[in-house]
Amino acid sequence: MDLRELVAAMFLFALIVMPLESLQAQSVRPPANAVNQGIDKQIDEQIGTSNTLGTNSQSDYWRDLRHGKDGLATSGQSGRKLIQAQGEQWRIVRKTYIVKYGGWVLATAIFLIVLFYLIRGKIRLKAGRSGETISRFSLPHRTAHWFMASIFILLSISGLILLLGRTVLMPVIGKNAHSIVASAAMQGHNLFGPLFIVALIWLTFMFIRGNFFQMADLKWILKGGGLLGPHASAGHYNFGEKGWFWLVVIAGSIMAITGMILEFPWLAESLQLLQISVIVHAIGAIALISAALGHIYIGTLGMEGALDSMTTGDVDVVWAKEHHDLWYEEVTGQKVANPEAEGSQSIPDHNQISAQSQTTET
Amino acid sequence: MSLLQIFEGPLFYIAVTVFMIGATWRILGIIAIGRKTDISPPKASANVGFIAGNLRHFLPRKVFAKRTWVHIVAGYSFHLGLFVLVIFAAPHITFFHDRIWDIRWPALPRWGLIIAAQFAFAGLIMLWVRRFSDPVMRLISDWDDHIGSWLTFLVMLTGCLALQESHDALKATHMLFVDIWLIYFPFSRLMHAMTFFLSRGYTGATYGRKGMNL
Repeated sequence: MDLRELVAAMFLFALIVMPLESLQAQSVRPPANAVNQGIDKQIDEQIGTSNTLGTNSQSDYWRDLRHGKDGLATSGQSGRKLIQAQGEQWRIVRKTYIVKYGGWVLATAIFLIVLFYLIRGKIRLKAGRSGETISRFSLPHRTAHWFMASIFILLSISGLILLLGRTVLMPVIGKNAHSIVASAAMQGHNLFGPLFIVALIWLTFMFIRGNFFQMADLKWILKGGGLLGPHASAGHYNFGEKGWFWLVVIAGSIMAITGMILEFPWLAESLQLLQISVIVHAIGAIALISAALGHIYIGTLGMEGALDSMTTGDVDVVWAKEHHDLWYEEVTGQKVANPEAEGSQSIPDHNQISAQSQTTET
Repeated sequence: MSLLQIFEGPLFYIAVTVFMIGATWRILGIIAIGRKTDISPPKASANVGFIAGNLRHFLPRKVFAKRTWVHIVAGYSFHLGLFVLVIFAAPHITFFHDRIWDIRWPALPRWGLIIAAQFAFAGLIMLWVRRFSDPVMRLISDWDDHIGSWLTFLVMLTGCLALQESHDALKATHMLFVDIWLIYFPFSRLMHAMTFFLSRGYTGATYGRKGMNL
């Protein structure tokens, strides 16, 4: 009996004597007692194949299975290996760390947002709305933003189902329903994935101007963004918005690359690359979704007047003075003396502001 | 009888009947309105104007091209993508063959189907985004426009989610939205798919008869 037949016989033996649950739960790493004479004896009794030549120990078999052996007939990228030991490490990392802690990271992000809302409440305009607006984002800017947002939401929902569905959904909806939802999520995720790349490129080109870091951002950070204390001046984008932009660009690019590797596995030269891609893709997704929750909160519930910039494209003049005073000064040419008490000041002609703002944006 | 059998059986035939009768009624109604008799001597052919008016609208006006390129690209992307999806998807060809007529034609390979779906989705999302972010579009849009967009999106989405063809529940969901879409179609602005050539043609014929440059 050559080694190939021996391996096949051992595999058959394992299938016969081990219940399915124990097979799933057991590590594929060689057991500590791989050279245990008791096991050798059992195998001898069952199939009479162990160590028939007296030259191989059980550890030798495991070593051959894991590291390859001439004469083993396998196909694909695994070479002559029948067991890829890193696969077990990948499984443990994904199941034990990514799924478990990823879920907790998301839950923590939601908890912190709720906590912040309860403590700080909605950030209102101190001087109230003036009724006069200033143009902040052009139609192409808004279209690029909402296109990305739509794709991002579809990918987030389907991706979270794929990542956490087995842990979170299956106990609630059952195996059959989870199977249906997971199948749909996989198709949807694969379909919308390439569109994310289109959206990312479009978004990057539309918003990169004005998103490079400046000295004003350091002052903004030192003042905690004005959330906790005195007013923090900001240009067209504050440090938080710039950070979010670059997170989307950098993490989004990594997500795009790893996503393409996973969607088109033949792009990967090795199985390890696929496994690394799964882990990196999942970590990137958790980071992006957590940050997106904060972005969505501050753009809607968290701050009065912020959503206007992405729906109508115009923001109230008071909002511009209180949150982006340097940008207001740049656009209007008027100094904002005290951004937190500007509501009662005279307001420049709206048409003039709009025209100037559009010129700077487009 | 399972839900899938109901949705792609009796409900589907009811939906198609409503769709056919409703759409025919609407088109006949528009044609029956006719147009006011123009007693002035024609300077050119109204029939040529009808055709020219239809063809001319497929291309953007140069003067508006810079302002409108996003929704023109999105419009073509969505409509062509959807057309390819509906006509050349292998499951659709099989469905038409089994349920409507005894004809088959070549189907797109799976990768072609995916690309067509991506064009259709990208276009539809951009068109809907424009509907609420463009001040003029927002002003002239009502619930009918949004419902039409969302129904179409859900039909496409549920169809693509069922691509694996491994669960009847996903196919049943898709068929349910198809049935709703077919019933809603004649009573909504989705009818533009069947009436656009009449409105373009009417404008073209009117201007053409007056000898205006289309």
